[in-house]
Amino acid sequence: MPFSTYLDGKRADCRALVAALGKRFPYVSVLGTDVRATAIRADKKSSNVQDGRGECGFVVKMHDGRSFFEYSLDDLSGDMNALAEKIETAVELDPDLRARMIEAPLPQDEPLKQDFLRETDFAEYDEETLLNTCKALSNELLEKDEHVLNAFAMIQPFTVSKLFVTKNRELSQHYGWANGILMVVYGGEKMSQARHVEGSDKLKEIIEGMKAHTDDVIQLAEHLTHAQAIEPGVYDVITDSSITGLIAHEAFGHGVEMDQFVKDRAMAKHCMGQYVASPITNMHDGAAATHSVASYFFDDDGVLAHDTQIIKDGILVAGLSDLASASQLSTAPTGNGRRDSYKRKAYSRMTNTFFEPGKDKLEDMIASVKHGYMLFETNNGMEDPKNWQIQCTAEYGIEIVDGKLTDNYVSPVVMSGSVPELLKSISMISDQFKVIGAGMCGKGYKEWVRVSDGGPNLKARVKLG
Amino acid sequence: MIQRLLEQNRELSGWRINETATASYELFFVHRKLETVRATDTVSTSVTVYVDHDGKKGDSVFTVSAAMTEADVKQKIETAVRRAKLVFNEPYELPEGGEESAELPSNMKDRDPKELGRQIADAVFAADTVPGGSINACEIFLYRDTARVINSRGIDKTQQKHWVMIEAIPTFTEGAESVELYEDHRFTDFDAAKVTAEIARRMAEARDRFTAKKPKVPMEINVLLRPHEITELLSELADDLNYQSAYMHANLHKIGDDLQENGDGDKLTVTMKAQVPGSEASASFDADGAAFTDTSVIRDGVAAANFGSSRFGQYLGVEKPTGNLPCIRAEAGTLTDADMKKAPYLDCASLSGLQLDLYNDYIGGEIRLAYYFDGEKTVPVTGISMSGKLSAALAALRLSDRMVTEGAYEGPQYLLLKGMTVL
Repeated sequence: MPFSTYLDGKRADCRALVAALGKRFPYVSVLGTDVRATAIRADKKSSNVQDGRGECGFVVKMHDGRSFFEYSLDDLSGDMNALAEKIETAVELDPDLRARMIEAPLPQDEPLKQDFLRETDFAEYDEETLLNTCKALSNELLEKDEHVLNAFAMIQPFTVSKLFVTKNRELSQHYGWANGILMVVYGGEKMSQARHVEGSDKLKEIIEGMKAHTDDVIQLAEHLTHAQAIEPGVYDVITDSSITGLIAHEAFGHGVEMDQFVKDRAMAKHCMGQYVASPITNMHDGAAATHSVASYFFDDDGVLAHDTQIIKDGILVAGLSDLASASQLSTAPTGNGRRDSYKRKAYSRMTNTFFEPGKDKLEDMIASVKHGYMLFETNNGMEDPKNWQIQCTAEYGIEIVDGKLTDNYVSPVVMSGSVPELLKSISMISDQFKVIGAGMCGKGYKEWVRVSDGGPNLKARVKLG
Repeated sequence: MIQRLLEQNRELSGWRINETATASYELFFVHRKLETVRATDTVSTSVTVYVDHDGKKGDSVFTVSAAMTEADVKQKIETAVRRAKLVFNEPYELPEGGEESAELPSNMKDRDPKELGRQIADAVFAADTVPGGSINACEIFLYRDTARVINSRGIDKTQQKHWVMIEAIPTFTEGAESVELYEDHRFTDFDAAKVTAEIARRMAEARDRFTAKKPKVPMEINVLLRPHEITELLSELADDLNYQSAYMHANLHKIGDDLQENGDGDKLTVTMKAQVPGSEASASFDADGAAFTDTSVIRDGVAAANFGSSRFGQYLGVEKPTGNLPCIRAEAGTLTDADMKKAPYLDCASLSGLQLDLYNDYIGGEIRLAYYFDGEKTVPVTGISMSGKLSAALAALRLSDRMVTEGAYEGPQYLLLKGMTVL
């Protein structure tokens, strides 16, 4: 599927609006978005094919030489001079508040005209084929084990078209991503739920991955029916890639979002150049850092994608910024300005966040644990960038005794404690590497964007409860 | 235009249009300085088509953007019909009849957002009086939402809400050390003194977090939850009783199950409600346009009723489905302030998030700030987490005798969990 024809037809209007607003605002950008999503789902009793979480509209960003203004609207049409007047009126301020505005330098507007495209194979699959695949997978899961009370199979492809226009820049991008999800509700000793998630820009890979994991998801659900509560305590743990990613994301990623630096909300601001993690630790974020769900070509501020190394050999070396925070900090933006949708403000946000692989073998890491747990699958996490406390919940853990994985499952497993203590306790890093592109990330309790995270297996010491 | 095109399509057995128009005025502060001013003027429209075929009902939802032409919408309808024909769900009827134009009471309805925004900002920053304290970030959102539901069976209902959300970050700093808390405050009636008091309370708690120490752990202790976390706990229990959960076999509890079996605590009575005064979640009808019937889903600790949408209610054979009720009420218990003081407790002022897992019988969470009463004195504590078995916690829980209203919750001010493990 090509770039949005709708947005393509709005290029002239975008330029005209930039010019009209440019009479008052020295910096004006227009971001047009056309995101199309489809959600296909089948379970034991129902099925569905419908539009997913898409969006189509525009957001105008302005800088008056002192501060920022934004206006979100559904369409650009008619007289752009009249629209410019309407926008100026809408963002007017009470005079008392005007006096309280920040003074931030004008954003750079380096000339660039470029169109970016990354192909998917979505056009090769019609919706009926995908729905039938989901129905077949649901039936297969239900037939495999009589204890499966319900089985859900979901495929969710989406495509993104974005157009960014300023006086000197005109960028467009088009790409896609899809997630596949298997989930079973299992009745045994007690009820349990287990799931498997796939992410790719190739539906072929998604479908193959889902088909290959039907036995695994049932086996996991069965194990979880006799999972016990963990005895609260401090343990040696080995993380799977999902939990590694959760630590990267919650424990540290939020803490280096530089809009938090501006607000003095991040301890990391004061720790640049300092050891914040074990010296064997390296961490990255960036739309250009790996290929996953957040691998766009330019961000919602029109800044090209970066690969930002955040931690180098245990030392904090860089943060992640959007245009407004970079302007206030007099730094170059890192391509991390992202919006929940065109209706919302851009903030500094993570994209694909991960630890670099190390040199250890996973089996050696497990063998090194006298008593501890291997932790699997992200459930949720909550950041605390100011105070560097974390709460990360794994779906389950498997007890390790005398260097061997046992059949003792625990669920759920909540990790909590101090971020530096956790990161400095990392003693082994595996040579495996996986980034999982199926997550949604909020800032505080809102502003949801698609993100990926992951990395290798880590060995660390952490409080579990 | 959408309605006309839907009515023209002969393959449809029904349709529904949900439209929400939002006008907002938004202020983003960095410390006391205003960084960004935003305004929005947007409409979200989603259309659900229903096609009866092969003795089953198929449905499909699509979104309509302002940019779409009549031809675009017509094509969307045809695509949705095709999608609906792929879906073989059990038959059900759309809710029928009824026109309504509702409005949540609000004293902000006729106010100029620019002036009101300034007054709200002033009310927030009026709380910034704690020595060493500051409000490091504040976002103020003034919304006017107009939601309309129309369907093919004669429903045409509109409701308007004027409401405000404030996200503020009270902070306390001394030297190089600094701590913060998070405050999310929503209201439909602006009361400057109330806003200032709410932020001031959180400012004081930020100061307490700064002085808070980690207590001696591990310990077994009673834990007090406040309304935000009580809402999370009760909502989780209620969601398990939603028609959809029951129909999907994704529910743990069935009607008649005793959620507080062998318990000696206060018995829970929980009612799902359409409206709680002052809450922006309050509504006059649900997304189907169905009228609400307030419903006690847990009575004296026993699962008493399911609740939810018309479709899944019909699947369960419910004659008059309740509608997807958005608010929650719990009845008062017997726990007095004097009772609370009979044993040591942790009063949780700020949690990272209450962690609940019904299947694995778990309740817990990381505590960012709690007040520890050791039997004699009360001190702020931090750096700890609590956990326990949910079933045991429910069986023995106590509810305070004092009622409060906060967000979409009205109910006891405290919920006491006995003997939680704190590490």
